[in-house]
Parts: sequence; structure tokens; C-alpha cells
Amino acid sequence: METQKTVLIIEDEKFLREALVDILRFKKFLTLEAKNGKDGLNIALSKHPELILLDIIMPEMDGVALLKKIREDAWGEKVPVIILTNLSATSEQLTNNADTQNPTQYLIKSDWKLYDIVKKVEEILKAQNTL
Amino acid sequence: MIEQNTILESNNVILSLKILAREKEIVRRKLAVTAVKLAATAKKLAITAKEKESVRRKLAITAKEKESVRRKLAITAKKLAITAAKLAVTAKEKESVRRRLAITASKLAATAEKLAITAKEKESVRRRLAITAAKLAVTAAKLVVTAAKLAATAEKLAVTAEEKESVRRKLAITAEEKEDVRRKLVITAAELAVTAEEKEDVRRKLVITAAKLALAAEEKESVRRKLAITAEEKEDVRRKLVITAEELKVSYKTLEKKVLERTESLEMARAKEEAILLSIGDGIIATDEKGNIIFINKTAEKLLGKKSKEVLGKFFYEAVVLVDKKGAPIQLENHPVKMALLNKPTTAITGAIYYHLRKNKTIFPVVITATPVMLDGKVIGTIKVFRDVTFEREIDKAKTEFVSLASHQLRTPLSTVSWYAEMLLTEDMGHLNKKQKKYLGAVYSSNQRMVELVNALLDVSSLELGTFVIEPEQTDICKLTENVIHEQRPQIDAKKMVFSFSCDEKISLVQADPKLLHMVMQNILSNAVKYTPEGGKIDFSISLTDLPSHKTLKGQNTKNILLKISDTGYGIPKNQQDKIFTKLFRADNVLDKDTDGTGLGLYIVKSIVENSGGKVWFTSSEVEKNKGTTFFVSLPFNEIEKVNVL
Repeated sequence: METQKTVLIIEDEKFLREALVDILRFKKFLTLEAKNGKDGLNIALSKHPELILLDIIMPEMDGVALLKKIREDAWGEKVPVIILTNLSATSEQLTNNADTQNPTQYLIKSDWKLYDIVKKVEEILKAQNTL
Repeated sequence: MIEQNTILESNNVILSLKILAREKEIVRRKLAVTAVKLAATAKKLAITAKEKESVRRKLAITAKEKESVRRKLAITAKKLAITAAKLAVTAKEKESVRRRLAITASKLAATAEKLAITAKEKESVRRRLAITAAKLAVTAAKLVVTAAKLAATAEKLAVTAEEKESVRRKLAITAEEKEDVRRKLVITAAELAVTAEEKEDVRRKLVITAAKLALAAEEKESVRRKLAITAEEKEDVRRKLVITAEELKVSYKTLEKKVLERTESLEMARAKEEAILLSIGDGIIATDEKGNIIFINKTAEKLLGKKSKEVLGKFFYEAVVLVDKKGAPIQLENHPVKMALLNKPTTAITGAIYYHLRKNKTIFPVVITATPVMLDGKVIGTIKVFRDVTFEREIDKAKTEFVSLASHQLRTPLSTVSWYAEMLLTEDMGHLNKKQKKYLGAVYSSNQRMVELVNALLDVSSLELGTFVIEPEQTDICKLTENVIHEQRPQIDAKKMVFSFSCDEKISLVQADPKLLHMVMQNILSNAVKYTPEGGKIDFSISLTDLPSHKTLKGQNTKNILLKISDTGYGIPKNQQDKIFTKLFRADNVLDKDTDGTGLGLYIVKSIVENSGGKVWFTSSEVEKNKGTTFFVSLPFNEIEKVNVL
């Protein structure tokens, strides 16, 4: 029997966070929540989730800064991160940093169906498992 | 009778007596008149006698007077003789003077010749001549005076002689009347005549001499005049020269004054122009044809934090450093001023790619326009106008931030609606009845449409606000395309389409802006998916071509990357094909079939492709079944220049 995977959702928008949490739980994932970057970083570094869903624009610490911190960590260096954002892909800062920080996926929330995100999560974790 | 006779006789006698008496009276009266006449005649005779006596006495006196006159004449004659002798001497002197004058004149002539030869000596000789001429003039004047005096003396003598002649004539007349006196007088007169003739002779000679002297004097005068004229001419020439010299002096002074005035006004104009240049609100740096800085205005000094003396005469590349965003110096051959020096076609550089280095090592963004200064078809220098665009950059940044914020703020609620609708529609959280499902479906698809519209609008506003900067980087175009396809995959699969993709293996990494390229491909591909019916076919291929279909901004022909996306869709109506790239335009045939569309996608594609130095075109048939539409995008293979999209 597959062990349940823990997914950390770092998202300041309550409805979006709850939607992600609900659907992932429904799909038998364990979830962790953080409503800003600072909390997210603490939880990530302490709980070591299998995957992180990361928003970019957040109070306290934004997604880019958080990702940078995580990647500095020995564990965090390899953890899959899906950046979920509503910023346009054309945002200079985001792409530059996203490139250098080597995220696993970069998705625009409004373009992606919730179930497609779940599928993405499942795909990644499956791939991780097979390694 | 007797008596009567007697009476008659007596009467006759008485009558005769009376007549006789009357005749006697007449005779008597005549006698008396004659007597009176005789008495008058007698008186006249007596007067005549007296007159004769007086005449005789007068003649006697006249004789005496004549004697005295004769003596006086003798004395006068002697004086004349002396005068003549003196005149002779004077004449000799004059002759000698004349000769000397002649000699002097010849010398002068010689001198004049020398003068003619030596121009330099002329002035001094002229002075000497002038002096000599003056002396001659004096001498001549003296001679003239002497001659005039002689002439006067001669005239006086002539007058005296005439008077003597007249006296002589009177005397001759008197002598005729007075026989006695006449003879003596005749002798005297003859003697006098002889004397007078001699005097006349002397006088004539004197007159001749005087005339000759006058002639000589005239000749001298003429010589003198000629000399004087020559001297005058020389003087004239000298005066003219002096006048000319003065005029020249005046002209020179006027000219000098004018030059001074002109110089002043020019100086003023120059100062004004320089002040204008110096005060222009944009930075201006001018170089000579070698690229050495010859001018920098105040704004440029202020912007660069450098004084003009620090940069003047120095090579522009070193004196005013141009760097990129990261502070690395711009290559010399890419430097706008260098381009201007080489007279390469200059483009106003408006991108945020140039920065000037201040003296304090900080940088600021600049907009540079460098143009060659042309003279007779040659580049004689350059003018660089530049502006600190920090403020504009801030505005650009604000615009970008606005777009980011808008995209974030608009998309967040759309995402929420979308996701919750989705969860409900999958019925994972509970069953929905038919109506509920239908209504929710409407909410969901409307929301999806809103998402697309927002995305397109944000892209357009990004394009139009100029926040899109093409930033080429090493891009794996095949992989990028795969990502795009992957994003579209749900829709492709949903419509059960046959999809194929091929990418030329020779294309590995190319210089391209991945974000923009992504946007281009995403738009064309989503159109193909959207406007092709279920079960249709889409082919996507990327290849390298040698099509010389366009040139890069540098004007080199390069290989192109050709994107080809063909579908078996509805096609674009022939009569609307020219409008298909127009903003917000949607073809009639798709309006009927699918209301989901913004009319912005191809407008965005065209904007990006053309500003990247590429081309986009299509072939389409609405009529032929399964022919559909094929879009082509051709992009330069090597480099995409860094320029603002709009």
C-alpha cells in the first residue's frame, strides 16, 4: 500500500488554498497549509513535504524568495515545487528567477484546471517514486 | 497961262528939288554907314596889327622854348645812350643767365632721364628738380620783372619820341608860317629829326633787345613751366599717391572697423549659439571625425558628473563609458557613436539596454541618438544626443507593475470560480441534477472565456504599453514548443484530434525570447484547436529554411526558422483574410460556430513576430473541405535584435 504523500500548499488566497486542500485530500493526499511565504518556509523546512505548491505573490515573503531559501537547504534542493501563479509568464523577474531556481513546474492558475493540477502533482510524485 | 506954267514949272522944280534932297539924304546916310564901316575897318586893322605884333612876340618866345627843348632832348639823348649801354650789359647778363639756364635745363633733362630710369631715385630727384624749378621760377620771375622794366623803359622812350615827333611837327608847321624862324627851326628840326631817328633806332634796337629778352624770358618761362608742370605732375602723382594712401588708410580703417564689428557680431552670434547648445536640456556630445570629443553641453556634464575639460579632446569610447544593464561596457563596434562615425544607418535606440557610467561609477539608463555630421558627403564628426530616462524607466516599471497587478488581481477570482465550478462539475463532492450541471457548466465556460479574454487583454496592454522587451536568450525552441503543445493537450484530446509535431534536429539552441515565442505559438496553436471541428487534424512542424524572405536588422541574410501550423478547420473567408490580423477582428464563419474568442490573438502574434524581425502569413480555404488553414511564422535563425516591441 502506497504511503500517503504530503503536499504543502503555500497560498495566501483563502479560496484557492481551500480548493487545493479539498481536492488533494479528496485524492488521498496529506496536506499542509501556509498562508504566507514566511510560514510556508518554516513548515517546509520542518515538515519536509514531498511536494510544494507555491504561490508567488504573497505577504511576508514572496514565492520567489521562499523558493530561493528552500533551494539553499540540503533537503529543499531536491524537493519538487510547482509554482502556481497568476502573474503573466512575461514577468521578467519571475522567469529570470524561476529559471535560475530550477522549479519543477510553472503553471498559471487561471489557465489550469484544478484536476489538471492534481494530475500534475500525481505525475511528479509518481516519477519521484520510480527514481 | 504963263503963270500956270510957271506954277507948274515951279512945282516941278520943287518936286525935283525934293527928290534931289531925298537922294542927297540917301547918299548922306550911305556915306554915314560907309564912314562907320570905315571906322570899324580902321579899328580892325589896328587890332590885326596888334595881333601880328603879339604873334611875332610869341614866335620869339617859341624859338626860345624850342632851344630849351632841343637842349633837353640832347640831355635825354645822352641819358638814352647811357641806358642803352646799361641795357646792353643787362642783355649780356641775361644771355649768360639764359645759357646757364639752358645748361641747367639740359642737366635737368639728364636728371629727368635718370629719373625715368631709376624709380626709386625719382622722389629725391623730383625734390631736387622741384627746388631747382623753384629757383628757376624765381630767376625767371626776376627776369620777367627785369624784362617788364625794360619794356616799360622802352615804352616810355617810345612815348617821349612820339611826343618829340609831335612837337617837331608843330614846330615844322610854325616854321612854315614863320619863314625866318622856320629856316632855323627847320635846321633845328632836321637836327632834331636826325637825333630822333637815331633815338628811334636805339629805341627799336632796345625794343628788339627787349623783345628778344622777353622771348628768352618766355622760353625760360616755358621751360620753367614745363619743369613746373613736370614737377606739378609729379606732385600731382605724389598727391594722388598720398590721397590714395590716405584713402587706403581710410578703407583699411573702415575695413578694420567693419571686421571688428563683424567679428563682434559673429562673436555674439557664436556665443549665442554656444549658449543655446550649452543650455539644451538633453545631453549633447559632439566628436570630430576621429571620435575625439569636441563639445559637451552643460546637461551632459551634469548627467555624467564630468567637467568638459575632463573629456574634451578625448576619445568618446573611453571618456564617456556606455555600459549594459549589468555594467559591462558596450562593444566599440556596437557603440552608437561608432556606428555614426562609420555612417551606418542609425536607429534611435530606445530600449533599456544602454546605460551611462557616471563619474561616481553609478549608472543611469539613457536614450541615445547618434548621428553623423555630414559635410560634402563626408563624415566630419558625430553628434550624440542623450537623455536620462530614469524617470521613463520608472514609468515603464510602473506600467509593468500595473500589468502584473492587474493580471494577478483579475485572475485570482477567475481561478477561484473556475476551480470550484470544476470540483462541482466532477461531482466528486456530490451528485448534481441535470439542470444544476447545465447551469454550472454555463458558469464554468463563461468563466473560461473570461480567463482567455483577460489573458489576451493583458498581452495586448503589455504590448501597447511597451513593457514587452524582446530579450533574446539561448532557447531550445523544440522543447519550448513541446511545452506549448502540452498546455494545449487537454483541448486537443477533448476534441479527439489527430495531432502531429516535428522539429528539425539541426535546430538546437537559438537566440529567441522564449516568453514571446511561447505566446506566438500558443496563440496560433489554440486557434487551430479552437477552429477545427472534432476529429480534425493538426500538424505542427519546425524547420530550418534558406528562404530569403526577410532580413535581420543588420541587413544580413540568414537562415530562418519556419513554424508551420496547419489544420483542417473552418478556414478564413477569402474576403476577410486581409483583416485577420486586425485587433479585435473575428471572422464571420467562426462567430456562428464558437463565440469563445477575443479577436486579439493574431494581432498579438503579428506584433511580436514583426518586431522580432520575422514574418507571419497564412494560406486558407473556407470552401475546400479539410483544407483548413496553415499559418507560417518565419523568424531569423541567428539573432533577434534587442528592441522594444512597440
